Amino acid sequence: MTKPRREHPMFRLWSAAAILALLLGLSLANAWYVRRLTAGIGAHLEQAQLLAEADSWAEAEALTRRAWQDWDGEKRYVYSLLQHEDADQILRSFRAVLQYVKIEEMDQYAAANAELIAQLELLSEMEQPSLLNVF
Amino acid sequence: MFTGLIRTMIFYLVIIVGIRLMGKRQVGELEPSELVLSLLIADLAAVPMQDYGIPITTGIFPILTLLCLTMILSVLTMKNIRFRALLCGRPSIVIRDGQIQQQEMARNRLTVDELLEELRSRGYTDLSVVKYAVLETSGQLSVLPYANQKPPTARDLEVSVTEGGLPLVVVSDGCLLEHNLEALGRTRTWVEREIRNRGCSGLEDVFLLLVDQAGGVYLAPKEE
Repeated sequence: MTKPRREHPMFRLWSAAAILALLLGLSLANAWYVRRLTAGIGAHLEQAQLLAEADSWAEAEALTRRAWQDWDGEKRYVYSLLQHEDADQILRSFRAVLQYVKIEEMDQYAAANAELIAQLELLSEMEQPSLLNVF
Repeated sequence: MFTGLIRTMIFYLVIIVGIRLMGKRQVGELEPSELVLSLLIADLAAVPMQDYGIPITTGIFPILTLLCLTMILSVLTMKNIRFRALLCGRPSIVIRDGQIQQQEMARNRLTVDELLEELRSRGYTDLSVVKYAVLETSGQLSVLPYANQKPPTARDLEVSVTEGGLPLVVVSDGCLLEHNLEALGRTRTWVEREIRNRGCSGLEDVFLLLVDQAGGVYLAPKEE
């Protein structure tokens, strides 16, 4: 038998409310961070496409690689919080885009790049606190 | 395989700690909201445990959210009677003065067969001996017979009986439980003397020793 511990019930209430507030804060921070990450990478990819259309393939490849490095650098975060299937799909798309930019195949590159940008946008959209996502 | 193993351990620990923090009441008697909580937690934990493509946080975040909400609701139900009635409902009297309350039964969707089954399981086959039957918010039926149907107590018979008090485990499988001994106000020497008086040579020979506050002792020696 242990002696009853004196614990104010309101302590439990406020502790639970604090954890809920923390979880809410983390989810909002995650939404902001994913948007910032995908927007930055998307901007690089769009810029790379403009360079490719101007026939500056070397710069376009360098910019695409930079976008890939930005994504790869956040691998741990992405795989901890987002669906692995979505992250794997983006990895596959990056590989395809890097290959097309290397062989300077404009049509294929443009299609693969557009798909990659769309995947990044959708990934970010999925994490945003919106009614569309809730329902 | 490794992922599944680690994930299972994490979820198991999170749920055990969470349920422990809920308090003892949640474990024994499930209110409707607690039943929902149990079902949801089981489902939320099972999916990421089996599907390694889903991040572990996908399971842990909703589980933590549910545990926090339940904690908040349980404190609010404790503090506010109206909120308690709203969330848990109110007990319903389904038999009053031996009469079945048909409207209450219909409101609770309780059939006559279920009522009779519950009464039989509590040893009542004759409805006329039941003064009240109350359907509790946990779904259990409490039965109160008429006063003349209750067995007489020592007070009714005006007999003096000794109060034994709560028996506490003092020795369990050869181990002395110091905190229980302290609660009883006894010493180790007293325990050893009681053990020797009952034919055991020491603590290591005792499987179970119960002592109540009046000094009553129950000893079960270890089997050879």
